[in-house]
Amino acid sequence: MIRIIMMGVLASGILYADVVAQSAMKFEEIAEKAGVQFVHSTRKFGDRHKAEVLQMFTDGGAAVAVGDYNADGFDDLFVVDSDEGKPHHLMRNNGDLTFTDVGQELGVSSGNDPLAICADALWFDYNNDGHLDLLIGRFGTPILYRNNGPDKEGAYTFSDVSKKSGLTQFGNTIAVIAFDADRDGWLDLMLGNYFKPENLLDLKTPHVLPNNLDYATNGGGVTFWRNVAMENGRRGFKDITDEAGFIHHTGWTLDLGHGDLNNDGWQDVYIAGDYGTDRMFFNKGDGKATFDEVTETAIGFDTRKGMNVDMGDYNRDGWLDIYVTNITDEYMKECNMLWHNNGDGTFIDLSRETGTCDTDWGWAAKFADFDNDGWEDLFAVNGLRSAEKPNYIPVLLEMIITPNVDFSDVNSYPDIGNMTWSGYQKQRMFHNLADGTFKEVGAEALVDTDLDGRGVGIADFDNDGLLDIYQTNANQQTLLFRGTPINSGNWVGLKLIGKVSNRDAVGARVTINTGSDPLIREVNCGNGYAGQSSMRLHFGLGNDKTIESVEIRWPNGKTETLPHSQLGALVNKMSVIIEGKGVIR
Amino acid sequence: MPTHLTRIIIVGVDSFMKRLILMCLLLVGFDVAYADRAKSSFEAANKARDTGDLLQALDHYEAALNSEPNNLKYGNDYRQAVVQINQVESYERCIAFFEKLTTQHTKIPNVWMNFGYAYVDKIPVEGAITQVLLANTALGYFSKALELEDSWLGHYTRGNSYLYWPAIFGRTPLAIEDLEKAIALSEKEKKSRSFHVRPYVGLGEAHWRLDDVTKAREIWKSAAKRFPDNEDLKKRLSMDDEALTAFLTTHFEPGKRVNTDLNILWEEEQQ
Repeated sequence: MIRIIMMGVLASGILYADVVAQSAMKFEEIAEKAGVQFVHSTRKFGDRHKAEVLQMFTDGGAAVAVGDYNADGFDDLFVVDSDEGKPHHLMRNNGDLTFTDVGQELGVSSGNDPLAICADALWFDYNNDGHLDLLIGRFGTPILYRNNGPDKEGAYTFSDVSKKSGLTQFGNTIAVIAFDADRDGWLDLMLGNYFKPENLLDLKTPHVLPNNLDYATNGGGVTFWRNVAMENGRRGFKDITDEAGFIHHTGWTLDLGHGDLNNDGWQDVYIAGDYGTDRMFFNKGDGKATFDEVTETAIGFDTRKGMNVDMGDYNRDGWLDIYVTNITDEYMKECNMLWHNNGDGTFIDLSRETGTCDTDWGWAAKFADFDNDGWEDLFAVNGLRSAEKPNYIPVLLEMIITPNVDFSDVNSYPDIGNMTWSGYQKQRMFHNLADGTFKEVGAEALVDTDLDGRGVGIADFDNDGLLDIYQTNANQQTLLFRGTPINSGNWVGLKLIGKVSNRDAVGARVTINTGSDPLIREVNCGNGYAGQSSMRLHFGLGNDKTIESVEIRWPNGKTETLPHSQLGALVNKMSVIIEGKGVIR
Repeated sequence: MPTHLTRIIIVGVDSFMKRLILMCLLLVGFDVAYADRAKSSFEAANKARDTGDLLQALDHYEAALNSEPNNLKYGNDYRQAVVQINQVESYERCIAFFEKLTTQHTKIPNVWMNFGYAYVDKIPVEGAITQVLLANTALGYFSKALELEDSWLGHYTRGNSYLYWPAIFGRTPLAIEDLEKAIALSEKEKKSRSFHVRPYVGLGEAHWRLDDVTKAREIWKSAAKRFPDNEDLKKRLSMDDEALTAFLTTHFEPGKRVNTDLNILWEEEQQ
């Protein structure tokens, strides 16, 4: 089976080899120059019992969300911090690759309360008013800031509408995505929770850690929130986790991804779980936001430490594939998973065959065509804890092999002190070679830092047609890599605006034909660990300058084909398309 | 000594001896009976295995081992049938069976040895952390077998098990210790067997694990004098450092199935 698939992609790859060979990825790190270099701080647990262990298990939180909150055509950044009292940063893009921190001014920089830890963020227009709202996922209750839009002077303001919107449930949320599960035109919310709902900052029981390190079932699972009209006439959310079919998932969710995995026009879900099985759910398509779990038949049950979910069509066969990072290190060789979509509801892991198996201790990873050669590459960050030379692993081993040890008990774990654990690992950039394989080019691309990576936000921050990368790191400074590829190809940038569908067209699929294999992209809202990338779609075209057709399948299921007269103007520019109206600029 | 007393003693001894002889005969008889029963169960197991009825084969292997628990080959072939089935339930059944056998026969080394191997066999179907737990438990049972009987197989098996632990866990020196003991024991044996090369191969690999490739090569070269036709030695000696590291890194990948089939021990005997 694997051989047949690989032969297929190899054969098609021969056509593209020249295009791919001409280009080379390269980046320049400019975070300090751009004014977006921040040092993230994980939450400290002070003099609490087993403080070090709790800190070790809540080591995420260095997250980034990309979104154009002020609709000026330039994607902005929201950078999350996690330690008590530490502010987040809303970085307004000045349009010249510099940014200004307006977080405090706009009142969205808080949330790291004494009893809550901020861990993720998401821009999404929950009320379809054309202004991106901001959700902050916390180990606590979430915070929803409504973007009120510009006032008379053009100044933006935000209001905390968490309570009014019904988002008052406590959870240890580490991942957030939004999509329109029932196609009613409003974005629904899924929260991925790591621990079960116990407040780690006010611990009532020491039994809060995974009850098994390969098959844990005592995690926080997910909660699913339907976007509904509230009594006050505004939009809000109703917990429909049970009705939607997610209630039985009690794993240690680390990341969530949405996309149309079976090409039926409805958004499906992949849940990456630490300490055990990832889960896949297909949307039933009944318009009620209900899902069938298809894990067993689609991917089987794994025992790995799923960290990241991203979706992209790496081999241009018209089906979304999935990339999941796991742990691969000297002491543990799980390998990542590149779930090749077989197109029949099943997936096969081709990470070894494609050369994307090993990213050490993986965290965020994103598909994107960084050199515009027409093929989606993969950028993956990694590394848990880079500290002093003594290694925590042998110490941890002694605990693991202790007879009858209770893994769920915080008291079982030895303190880590200043020891290193899977630290100083080089980030990976996988260049898609257009033949079903990737080549690791992190060093040549100048992105192979050895920081403890966590989140990734990808966008074309300066609208130059080249994708840039914002990388967050735990307890270390963030990085901004400006894309400067050599011999990059032509490109198309699209911003979709829904009218009947949700405003940002989350879930829309665009298919571009240039005469060769079609290019597909879907608008996603939050895919990838600790990171939200731009909701604009970016297509590399390679040497192609002519587009034969552009088809948009809007989130409501309706398909729109752009008139041929509009196609020529799309190449090498960012265009805006309104549902039912075609290209408007 | 009064005659009657002497007579009583003689009669008593006579009676005691008779009873002793009778008991010995009975025991031999029992042993023969058990051995016969074990053999017939083993044959039935092999027959079931050869016809593809592996679950039936497991029943018969277990019966054979219940009759003759110290039979390493019966245990080996039982485990290999379990590996052939390759289902979690079968591995668990095998482990449970040997666990029971060890409680019934605490002093029989081969029962512990097979118990340890049963844990090793299950490793590939488990998650990364469970694999560590299984490997560690296996080590404990291999040690138990060695406590009961100091043997080439015992040291080789335990040494080889230590060898699979990444160097970061600090168990490679223990592998070296065991593999050196296995080599020393093999050198004492009158007849050199082809499988005696294995601890040499492993010993070199242990030094490779400790980043001493020079020492590894020295060991393999020296072993090649004793085992000139051995392909494992030839392969390792033919590679440059980079190729060797790539090969051994793959070879020792955690979770990969380790061949625990001991039939080589008996095959050479039959030749």
